[in-house]
Amino acid sequence: MSDPTPATSGSKPDKARFVIALALAVLAAVIGCEAWRLAAIPSYTAVGPAAFPTLIAIGLGLLAIANAVEAMKGVEEERPRDEVRPIVWVLAGLVGQIVLLPFAGFSIATGWLFAATAKGFGRGPVWAHFLAGAALCFVIYVIFAKGLQLSLPAGPLERLI
Amino acid sequence: MDTFGALAQGLMVALQPMNLVFAFFGVMLGTAVGVLPGIGPALTVALLLPITFKLDPAGSLIMFAGIYYGGMYGGSTASILLNTPGESSSIVTALEGNKMARAGRGGPALATAAIGSFVAGTIATIGLALIAPTVVDIAISFGPEDYFALMILAFTTVSAAFGSSVTRGLTSLFIGLSLGLVGIDLQSGQARVSFGVPDLLDGVEVTTLAVALFAIGETLSVAAAGSRAEEVIEPVRGSVFMNKEDWKRSWWPWIRGTFLGFPIGAMPAGGAEIPTFLSYALEKRLCKKPDEFGNGAIEGVAGPEAANNAAAAGVLVPLLTLGLPTSATAAIMLAGFQQYGMNPGPLLFATNPDLVWGLIASLFIANVMLLILNLPLVGMWVRLLAIPRPWLYGGILVFATLGTLGANPSLVELGMLLIFGLLGYVLRRYDYPIAPVVVGLILGPLAEQQLRRALAISVGDPVVLFQSPIALTLYALAALALFGPLLFYLITGRKAPVGGDED
Amino acid sequence: MTKMLRGAVVAAALASFVPFVGAQAEVTELKIMAPAAPGGGWDQTARSMQQALQADKLVSNVQVLNVPGAGGTIGLAQFVNASKGDPHALIVGGYVMVGAIITNKSPVTLSQVTPIARLTGEFEAIAVPANSPLKSMADLVAALKADPSKVSWAGGSAGGTDHIAAGLILKAIGGDPKKLNYIAFSGGGESLASILGGKVTAGISSLSEYDAQAKAGKLRILGVSSAKRLPEAPDVPTFKESGVDVEIQNWRMVAAAPGITPEQKKELSEVVEKMAKSKAWTDMLKQKGWADTYLAGEAFDKQLAADIAATTTVLKEIGLAQ
Repeated sequence: MSDPTPATSGSKPDKARFVIALALAVLAAVIGCEAWRLAAIPSYTAVGPAAFPTLIAIGLGLLAIANAVEAMKGVEEERPRDEVRPIVWVLAGLVGQIVLLPFAGFSIATGWLFAATAKGFGRGPVWAHFLAGAALCFVIYVIFAKGLQLSLPAGPLERLI
Repeated sequence: MDTFGALAQGLMVALQPMNLVFAFFGVMLGTAVGVLPGIGPALTVALLLPITFKLDPAGSLIMFAGIYYGGMYGGSTASILLNTPGESSSIVTALEGNKMARAGRGGPALATAAIGSFVAGTIATIGLALIAPTVVDIAISFGPEDYFALMILAFTTVSAAFGSSVTRGLTSLFIGLSLGLVGIDLQSGQARVSFGVPDLLDGVEVTTLAVALFAIGETLSVAAAGSRAEEVIEPVRGSVFMNKEDWKRSWWPWIRGTFLGFPIGAMPAGGAEIPTFLSYALEKRLCKKPDEFGNGAIEGVAGPEAANNAAAAGVLVPLLTLGLPTSATAAIMLAGFQQYGMNPGPLLFATNPDLVWGLIASLFIANVMLLILNLPLVGMWVRLLAIPRPWLYGGILVFATLGTLGANPSLVELGMLLIFGLLGYVLRRYDYPIAPVVVGLILGPLAEQQLRRALAISVGDPVVLFQSPIALTLYALAALALFGPLLFYLITGRKAPVGGDED
Repeated sequence: MTKMLRGAVVAAALASFVPFVGAQAEVTELKIMAPAAPGGGWDQTARSMQQALQADKLVSNVQVLNVPGAGGTIGLAQFVNASKGDPHALIVGGYVMVGAIITNKSPVTLSQVTPIARLTGEFEAIAVPANSPLKSMADLVAALKADPSKVSWAGGSAGGTDHIAAGLILKAIGGDPKKLNYIAFSGGGESLASILGGKVTAGISSLSEYDAQAKAGKLRILGVSSAKRLPEAPDVPTFKESGVDVEIQNWRMVAAAPGITPEQKKELSEVVEKMAKSKAWTDMLKQKGWADTYLAGEAFDKQLAADIAATTTVLKEIGLAQ
């Protein structure tokens, strides 16, 4: 069981919600710092740029405490275990698209996204999906460029037209 | 008054065969771009302006009207079927609409959205033709303090309507409010929570956040469920079209949505999102089966859809009567007017009545055309859901990133899509509601700016917030929304018919 | 990291369209960057240029690339980094960029590009509701001198042209720009509504925003920021006529890449000049209601430097820049 949240009865503290409470506390601190920085900048207006960040930071701080308290009460209901492999595939698709986009262009990068997502959902082979996805995206690219005059990122494939 | 004569004249213009072709082309194009998140009617009309200049004014304005309304339809179709809100005003539609689609009720959801949009669009267009000058006087009288009160009303009603746990709902809302801080502060010009990244200076785009949380977050959590989830979603369970009960449950939400959407849309700072929130909250409160909310209640599609279409017509009120462009699309349409040498502004009705009435008439035509085109297509659209999941979700992600890239080919924007997608997954995994995050992002900055404007104008005197009768009325409504159920209980000794009574 | 990636996008895109051409070759293709989203003013300028250049066959292949964000500074940074020495790259920009570079602390500035020409511009106007007690510029000046914080101004976002103009006016009459009570609105419609509704004392924005309302008798325009009275509003005095020494133009310009040779600059300047004189371009200006404020060469360089200096000073005085 690689699940980070042990799905046991209500007595044990809920670790995941502790982590969320901690994340909220960090966010509160970050925004609090921003508010402090902004408050130091002189401004003539009655309510300056720091007022709302201050309120939000306080609210986040209180919510961090509330979440921690609820986490102490324990896991409310059993959460089914999540599979890691499919998530990794989908994320690899999204990250891969960002990495490929600058030099490979829209069609190839987005074709990879399609193939990786399909693989994440258990459908291969990756290369066949990649080809189909890239071809589809190339058509979309042409429609955008000719029809709307919008330039999506171009790569070797797009330069052919 | 020869309003009807003028309108009939306008209809004659709009019904010319060539103009019908333009209207058809417009609604098709509008639907197509409305479906894509990030790319909306404003951008499309802007890109088409140089091309349409060669056409005659009536034809191209008719086409713009088609794009405008078509965008609204397209946005809701994507929301319902793919959980990918194409426009920010159709975010609320995704909440119940997508739940319905997944339960095999995509047909009725699409139908109630289409008919609701038609009903609302028609009533609102009549309103535009008949009472625009009156509505605009009221709309103009809204000051920053009144808008602030409106935001407070929206916050209270909306927060009462989302989620069962107060802590979780507020946590999501505050995450959204934090995201709303990102970027340059409009009033002071200071960068906030941007960490020196220039791409963050313009803040977080609403459609980027909504698409990431809804579509990408959902893709991740369905993927994570692995074999637990079904391989194929059954696209149709029961009737493809609305049954008698659906009609009964949709009718009033359409009307109520229209009367929320039209006036708020007509306000210079009203927008189309707030009426959809208010409509959703209102329908949840009035619904006889509140348990269904969150699991696919048809009222939650009918009301907000009517509201956003009515708001779209409402936006044209200040545009046509005063020449005030209060949305991006309106600003572009104004540019369209100018291109034909028309003087936008209070004199437009007097100097170019044929075109104004032609435009209003073509809104009617576009509405009818969209209904005729969309209803028969409902059966085809829902089949999209029969696509095996690997391809369906692959397609949804292609789609989500395409919309973002088309509007702004920036890798930072794609990075945000990824990060917010993960956020959406985590929130889903641990039962935090998603919608309040988007609500916080939209309402937070609006509330802040209006409050600061009000206080700047009054030179820091907070009394200004409670002086205007409009603001006081709105605060009273907010209080009613918050404490109404409690009051009901105190007076009658019975639980208010909100929290799930038997009918 | 991201900047490098973004740079790479453009570099890759440019590589495809720009085969290496010697300095003497005719300009056959151009890539114009609009550092704004499609539909905005700079984008429309770029696309109008594209149309005019192609209509008169001055340049056969013109592409427009949108890089929106942060008042144009994101596009500018990308342009400076990726187009160095490229004789086929142009960028559209404007006065708003001058302010944005200062307030956003942009690492690249306009001194890093090669300005070619100012193409068009708009002038600022001050408007009050028709029933306002302020009848003339002199009344407004008197109100400002009495208590600047009691005079609320509606205009575009903080640090933009409207804000700068208001700051310059307060400064010119001897007031403290820090006390400027400026209310920023995100859209023209919203700020106009607040003026019509009498929520603010006055509005400041480009004349075209107020013109129609003024003609309908709902607004009164107190003054304009041009050197001479404008043909659209011949009855409206300039600020200078009213004794307020402020002259400001919200201009749009076109610039070339950094590091191009003087010959290449000359060639591009010639192409742009031909375009600016062409019928296609002047028709387009008329159609969009843009004023022709063409200015090129040393005169433009001098004007640009003066604008940057004045803007830096006033933004510091308003408190928007350190």
